[in-house]
Amino acid sequence: MTAMTTAPAEAPTLRRSLRPRGLVWTMLCLHRAALLFWALLAAVAAGTLLWAWGPGTKGVWTEYRTMRCAFPGENLSCDYTGDAYMALDLATSLGGGIITIVPFLVAAWASGALIARELETGTAELAWTQSVSPTRWLAAKLAVPAALLASGTALLMLLHRLMWPSDRELLRWLSRQWYDDVAFRGNGPVAVAYALLGLAVGVLVGLLVRRSLPALGISLVCLLAVHFALGMLRPYLWPSVTLTKTDQYSISGGMPVDDGAITPLGNRVPNPCGGEGPDCLTQHHIVGFYFDYHPSSHFWPLQLVETGIVLSLAALAVLASFRLLNRHLGDAA
Amino acid sequence: MTGTAMEAAALGRRFGRNGEWALRDCTFRLPAGSVCAIVGPNGAGKSTLLAHAAGLLRPTEGTLTVLGTTPAEARERFAYVAQDKPLYPQLSIAETLRLGSELNPGRWDRAVAERIVADGDLDPHTRVRTLSGGQRTRVALALAFGKRPELLLLDEPMADLDPLARHQLMGALMAEAAEHGTTVVMSSHVIAELEDACDHLLLIGDGHVRLAGPLDALLAAHVLVTGQDGGLDPHTVVESRTTGRQLTALIRPDGPLDDEWQTTEPTLEELVLAHLRSPGAPVLTLTGEDEDWPETWGAAV
Repeated sequence: MTAMTTAPAEAPTLRRSLRPRGLVWTMLCLHRAALLFWALLAAVAAGTLLWAWGPGTKGVWTEYRTMRCAFPGENLSCDYTGDAYMALDLATSLGGGIITIVPFLVAAWASGALIARELETGTAELAWTQSVSPTRWLAAKLAVPAALLASGTALLMLLHRLMWPSDRELLRWLSRQWYDDVAFRGNGPVAVAYALLGLAVGVLVGLLVRRSLPALGISLVCLLAVHFALGMLRPYLWPSVTLTKTDQYSISGGMPVDDGAITPLGNRVPNPCGGEGPDCLTQHHIVGFYFDYHPSSHFWPLQLVETGIVLSLAALAVLASFRLLNRHLGDAA
Repeated sequence: MTGTAMEAAALGRRFGRNGEWALRDCTFRLPAGSVCAIVGPNGAGKSTLLAHAAGLLRPTEGTLTVLGTTPAEARERFAYVAQDKPLYPQLSIAETLRLGSELNPGRWDRAVAERIVADGDLDPHTRVRTLSGGQRTRVALALAFGKRPELLLLDEPMADLDPLARHQLMGALMAEAAEHGTTVVMSSHVIAELEDACDHLLLIGDGHVRLAGPLDALLAAHVLVTGQDGGLDPHTVVESRTTGRQLTALIRPDGPLDDEWQTTEPTLEELVLAHLRSPGAPVLTLTGEDEDWPETWGAAV
């Protein structure tokens, strides 16, 4: 009986205590449009990935079977692609593409709308002369979007993993590899790390440049540089596995790192012969071939190292942002 | 009896390492409860001084205390309205006031803020971006008063308003300040509107304090004299002009004046203009405490 009488009183209290307050309310209220956009984008990506996981994959299997690709031996009809194949290919690319592009959207928004526009129009000073210190203001600007971004991209990453075909044959037919750039970014925690890096870089550049449009451009350039640099470095973030053989037919099934020829002294040289006959090899004193690659078991170590690097960069940018604000305002921050 | 609302000691601010000094050697004290006008030409350092008081700039040298402590410590107790009245354009008036209540927990006076908005016949659901200059100023003032500040810092609050809106808002501002005993510090270059409203004056020229003190004491310390060209020693001459053989001068008398001079007490405008026209005039800082002026007949700048 007591429970029945207290229950109605507790509900509004609970709702009131869960209601966003202070800076969190301010952030959600000021950036409603961005919040809505993020929700829509995440919904589109999630819907696409779910479709690809369910009907998309099922349709492709049906097509695979009706085109009789599953039978061994030469089958020319499998060189062509059907509607289901095209649809799944598109859905996979769209889902992965959205995950890949989110950090750039975040950086552009954070540098322009979140930070530089406030400094430009003086609304930052309006906030700092309420009962809120600039340090707390910056903390809210980082924490609220970071929480929404991390949860959203983590969800999309899990859906991407769910959708990603576990069947090797299907992967081969779709000509997708686990180490493809978009697939690698969508299939693990690097997705979340890059989104957070976009936020941190955007905030730092916004504080440095203090004008919306230049800040937007510069933050995109910075993020693109990190994006490509780490993409290039990725094969070297974990020790690769080496395979040596005497014939020069290369193997597949892993992320290629390096390949070439081996001399009698064991030195690694570029393969001088290409597709030429054995005479060429003798002439150049080639005794074998090597192939450095990452087997698919290296997926997680590579993911974790790259995630660690990206998160460290984000932490550095956050630290620099607070120091910058402090230097500008002194003890008032 | 009253405390100190704002006190500067040798405050200086330079922009850039080798830049110009925007403020230098600013020393003054403002008692709580006063309404102080900061006047001076454009670029004199008025906005810089107010931004320091609001904790938005760090002094290059010297100190500025607000309500007995640093601006950062006093953040909850003062309100600041910048010159261009920054407000979030995407919010409605009601949301802007809600922002004030969310960012000033425990201090926010919703009734005061809503009354200022309502007095201007503003619909709370109007977006800020659609407001006119005067309406914007009104919302900015509502946000400032809603905080129940002990000290209100206003940078050129009426600059972009038409005379009617200016008169109306000045009235609202003074009524609110009087009702709550708020100390008001406002910069302006429209001297006429300050004469009735203010009881303290801080004249800044070229980054330096030129005149500071209670308005009536400052006015009483100066005499406007006219007469035949003759010696004005030992009085301090702020500005003198000769028309034919007729000499008009604003002086700070030091002892009794000769009978041959016609004397009048200057108006605020005459006082300010004379000091702005002669940057070499000695600095005068009066304080309200000692009934007898002057505390310092400062040296030439």
